[in-house]
Amino acid sequence: MRAIRKYGVLYAMMLPVVIYFIIYGYYPLARGLQISFQDYKLMGERPYIGFANYAAVWHDPFFWKALGNTVVIGGGILVFGFVAPLVIALSLNEVMTAWFKKTAQMLLYIPHLLSWVVIGGMWIFLLSPDTGIVNLVLHKVAGIEPIHFLAESTWARWVMILVSTWKDMGYSCILFLAAIVSINPSLYEAARMDGATRGQLVRFVTLPQLKGTMKVIILLNTLGVLRIFDQVFVLRNPSTSSQVDVLMMYTFQKGIMEMQVGVGAAASFFVLVFTLILTLAVRTLTRFDEVE
Amino acid sequence: MMKHANYGLNAKRMTVFDWLNALFIICLMLTMIIPFLNVVSLSLSSGVASMRPDIILFPKEFSLDGYRTIWNSLDLWRPFLNSTIVTVFGTLLHVLLSSLAGYVLIHPRVPGKRLMITFILITMMIPQEAVLIPLYVVNKDFHLINTLTVLVLSGLVSGFSILLMRNFFMSIPYEISESAKIDGAGDFWIFAAIYMRLATAGLATVTLFEFVGRWNMFTAPLIFINDSSKYTLQVALKAMIIDSSTSSSNYLITTNVKMAGIIIAILPLIVIYPFVQRFFMKGIMLGATKE
Repeated sequence: MRAIRKYGVLYAMMLPVVIYFIIYGYYPLARGLQISFQDYKLMGERPYIGFANYAAVWHDPFFWKALGNTVVIGGGILVFGFVAPLVIALSLNEVMTAWFKKTAQMLLYIPHLLSWVVIGGMWIFLLSPDTGIVNLVLHKVAGIEPIHFLAESTWARWVMILVSTWKDMGYSCILFLAAIVSINPSLYEAARMDGATRGQLVRFVTLPQLKGTMKVIILLNTLGVLRIFDQVFVLRNPSTSSQVDVLMMYTFQKGIMEMQVGVGAAASFFVLVFTLILTLAVRTLTRFDEVE
Repeated sequence: MMKHANYGLNAKRMTVFDWLNALFIICLMLTMIIPFLNVVSLSLSSGVASMRPDIILFPKEFSLDGYRTIWNSLDLWRPFLNSTIVTVFGTLLHVLLSSLAGYVLIHPRVPGKRLMITFILITMMIPQEAVLIPLYVVNKDFHLINTLTVLVLSGLVSGFSILLMRNFFMSIPYEISESAKIDGAGDFWIFAAIYMRLATAGLATVTLFEFVGRWNMFTAPLIFINDSSKYTLQVALKAMIIDSSTSSSNYLITTNVKMAGIIIAILPLIVIYPFVQRFFMKGIMLGATKE
């Protein structure tokens, strides 16, 4: 009681957030779990049907296809989204002209600020077979016939992976650069006194010192893999959907488009379980907790 | 930034490696510059010129028709207004609520503090996507589908912002709060008059993060809004510039109109970009380099 009198104002300040999280954080989770066991209709009776929704998802070949697409596209984004910013950060770090370095950073960061509708809309146009600048340049320079980048299934996944890398590389690059700057300069001095070349400095000083940041970026990007949605929703089309539709797309289609709310909710819980497994796996593999 | 960029080597002597490295970065920059230059130029070209298969890096047959058409004839002003409303109100409330909660968490002796932190951390572990469908059901029960309110409410508070504000408040010496309390100031007054004023950099960081996030918000309006008069800019643009190229609509939207739509959606973000550079990048770096 005394605590409430003494800290009453503080509790009151916390109250709106607590109420919000209960209504929009915890309650939907519980409600989703309930719905996943129901034959949910927007109107009328909603009988409980046990694990039937989960079974429906489990036996749906499209679900497994979506999982496969998520693994391939997500894995690609993970690899490219890690290597590209690292290479760029190391390269920018070798640049000696301050304004040049700053301008490059500023430019590379811009796409990260923009929505997938904007980025997707731009690239759909840039990659279009008849008027897109990419095909026009390819034709002019190498005489290549127009490629339907967004309609051919061989290209569709690569477009997803590369456009995503292009969009977000500036962001991870800044994280790497910030970490490089905070490396203790005496390490470089010591290495130089031992006669290390520039390449050796990168190999034996910079890279080992970046280990912590690398782990953070891998963990953050891994968490994002199962959430890929906007980008696929914007860049997909009927001719490539079987190659690019990811788990979230499956959930959206079931739960919102086809109004099979129970099945959609069950699919969401599969995604939730996959997220937990993936997080645990990455944490164990990178031994993330040991960094700190 | 430049502390050991050259590792003490002679900065004036450019080796072959330096030239190749600079070339690599210039190529990278071109992958950013050319697409944007192409889009801007097309948006400022005439409808006919924008449909021709030419490499356009400078407006051809300069005209503002694209902007006029998408803003007036295609009524882009309405989704633009909706997005502005949602972004402004959502961001203000988000920053206020996150700051309030962040302030509570800096006090070392509040009973139940550990419980509150756990409560917030758990919400951060639930991916929003996993509750998308139940959220639709919950909002439907509240009769919020097809309102702008639901868009302000979605993501109104985030554990991330609360913890970020808490970190910024923690950098203010706690003695200030204690001595103000001895002078008889209440907690809310200390929060409003002292902490909110001293944590300007933090407020700016969270505001910018949230502004960008809300302006770009796509999944929530896609799911919660079907009424086209309530569409936000992103959803309206998706329908106008992406769906119109695949479906056979009764009239053709020329490329200059589509590109004008893209530029209009980018514009507010370009306007705030200098501030983003000042606060947000510093914020990212603080977060990344903090031991």
